[in-house]
Amino acid sequence: MPEIKLKFKKNVDFPVEAEVITPDIFAGKSPAEIKKLEVFHGNEAKTLGDFFDISGKTGEIADTKIVIDGDVSNVKRIGEKMTGGEIIINSSVGMHVGNNMTGGKITVNGNADDWAGAMLNGGELEITGDAGNYVGAAYRGFWKGMQNGTIKVQGKIGDEALTWVTGSKPAKRFPTLICGSAGDFLGIHGHGGTIIVEGDCGRGTGADQVRGTIVVKGKVARRLPSFKKIGEVKEIELMNGEKITGKFVEYGGDHSVDKNHSKIDKKTGEISNSSNGRLFIAA
Amino acid sequence: MVNAKRPLLYGFSSTECEAQGKGVELAEILGSLLDNTASVCHGPSLLAIQDVGAPTSTLGEYKNRADLVVFWGCNPVHAHPRHLGRYSEFVRGYFRKDGRNDREIIVVDPRNTHTAQIADLFVQVNPSEDYELINAMRAILRGTELDEKEISGVPMEDIVTLVDKLKSCNFGVLFFGMGLTQSLAHHRNIDAAICMVRELNDHTKFLLTPMRGHYNVAGANQVFSWNTGYSYSIDFSKGYARYNPGEFSSVDVLMRNEIDASLIVASDPASNFPAASVRNLFKHPLIAIEPHHTPTSLNADIVLPPAIAGIECEGTAYRMDSVPLRLRKVKDAPGECLTDKEILEKLIEVVKKKKGE
Repeated sequence: MPEIKLKFKKNVDFPVEAEVITPDIFAGKSPAEIKKLEVFHGNEAKTLGDFFDISGKTGEIADTKIVIDGDVSNVKRIGEKMTGGEIIINSSVGMHVGNNMTGGKITVNGNADDWAGAMLNGGELEITGDAGNYVGAAYRGFWKGMQNGTIKVQGKIGDEALTWVTGSKPAKRFPTLICGSAGDFLGIHGHGGTIIVEGDCGRGTGADQVRGTIVVKGKVARRLPSFKKIGEVKEIELMNGEKITGKFVEYGGDHSVDKNHSKIDKKTGEISNSSNGRLFIAA
Repeated sequence: MVNAKRPLLYGFSSTECEAQGKGVELAEILGSLLDNTASVCHGPSLLAIQDVGAPTSTLGEYKNRADLVVFWGCNPVHAHPRHLGRYSEFVRGYFRKDGRNDREIIVVDPRNTHTAQIADLFVQVNPSEDYELINAMRAILRGTELDEKEISGVPMEDIVTLVDKLKSCNFGVLFFGMGLTQSLAHHRNIDAAICMVRELNDHTKFLLTPMRGHYNVAGANQVFSWNTGYSYSIDFSKGYARYNPGEFSSVDVLMRNEIDASLIVASDPASNFPAASVRNLFKHPLIAIEPHHTPTSLNADIVLPPAIAGIECEGTAYRMDSVPLRLRKVKDAPGECLTDKEILEKLIEVVKKKKGE
């Protein structure tokens, strides 16, 4: 696999907006051409070569592997809209890493700032440290957030992850988030996402969820009153068919959402008060 | 400002709309961040409106029709003293001939405020737990029986009574203030409140309106929106407008110390921002266009005192329900005071010359 190495040279006062660091843009370019790509630092247009030492070679989009060294915690938008290939970041990274990506893989060996994997539409984002707020969330005003792909965060994530997540079983789109622990309002306005939390959660988990599965293997700080207990289960089947075993309490919700897809029962034709959203909390 | 790489333009909420328009022009030429006081006030309401819309109306409609008024997390007796008398409580309307006697007033607040003391029903909610209460009300509204006995410090029977009252009115209105937008959960409180009002419209007529702060902060949102497409938290660093509260909003930018110069117009961030962000604001060159003695203008490197809009010069301002009103001039400004608009126009001229345009 052709590999290209980027090394961050110096510390900066303001974030560098480097949406050009993707396999899609790097593919087929020599290091000298890549050095000339435009990035913004504050309101100044500069080149990638001003901030990074670049070496190695690139190939086709799917074959290109980008390795980034040096502290890039002030570099935003790495891997924006990428469709294939691989990026490995060996430090903490700034905001919007891997936003809107549709394929390929990003590995962050450190922490990620806010909006990591926002509106992901395919591919895989793995973060070994913590992540900020709005992981995999919809940008302001969008009614469809993450639609496909997987985000794995080993540490904790901030508030409002996976807002407006939209998945679909017939279309085989299973947006999935796996994280160590989560902040408030996890999966708010969810429409069919799968969220697995290995630890504890903040308040408002699954608020306004119409469909979707949230599995919390720890505790929820304050369960919403509109979630109603259904019973205890020993095995959970996720949307993509995978199974999780363990003792869980099953809750249905969010019952406060009026325009619910389950309002009219398809079999009996009666108005149903159940909800397609599920929240499982470890018993 | 011309040499700055990441300048910030903030404020504009206590001046007239023509000056605000010039502010947007200056921000675009400078490639700066542009923000108004909605950022620390009703910005969360705008975020919620972008997420779920808003059923709203002008204040005259409430005056003439409303028979149920809910004040949630606001205290108009002190914060909007003329509001009760002119639009929402004591005023006689076309269909509400008997004024106060024709209206039912409900206050939801953690504190027993002076507004709560003149209300028919006061619901005392635990601080920062409004989201759970609205959530439960929405579930009850939908016909779900909940398992819990008490939610956010309010007994279940009281919540059911409250929901019944909201459902059975002829024309209801929900006014909300900082108590919802700036307590924990921020825009999600408003999100839930809007959804509740939307669902109440299955039973009766119900609308909501935010209780805005600065007299022309609604105008700042309008002017910014029609110039750039976004109402606050705008970044012009790439030459075109981008919007992302949390990334470009002034408090967050200052907390991360990402600016190197600032121009504050007609507002006082030093009194309203968190201390850590104000410290970062004072680290860099600070220019204030401000007629008053405020902590911001006292700590500014340069103060340009303008005429006071609406008293010493005329202009346009938007009321909290986004109705534009003409501001009249009452007296002349002292000395050779220029208006905000004239100062910004002159700044634009100089900046254009220095940038060689």
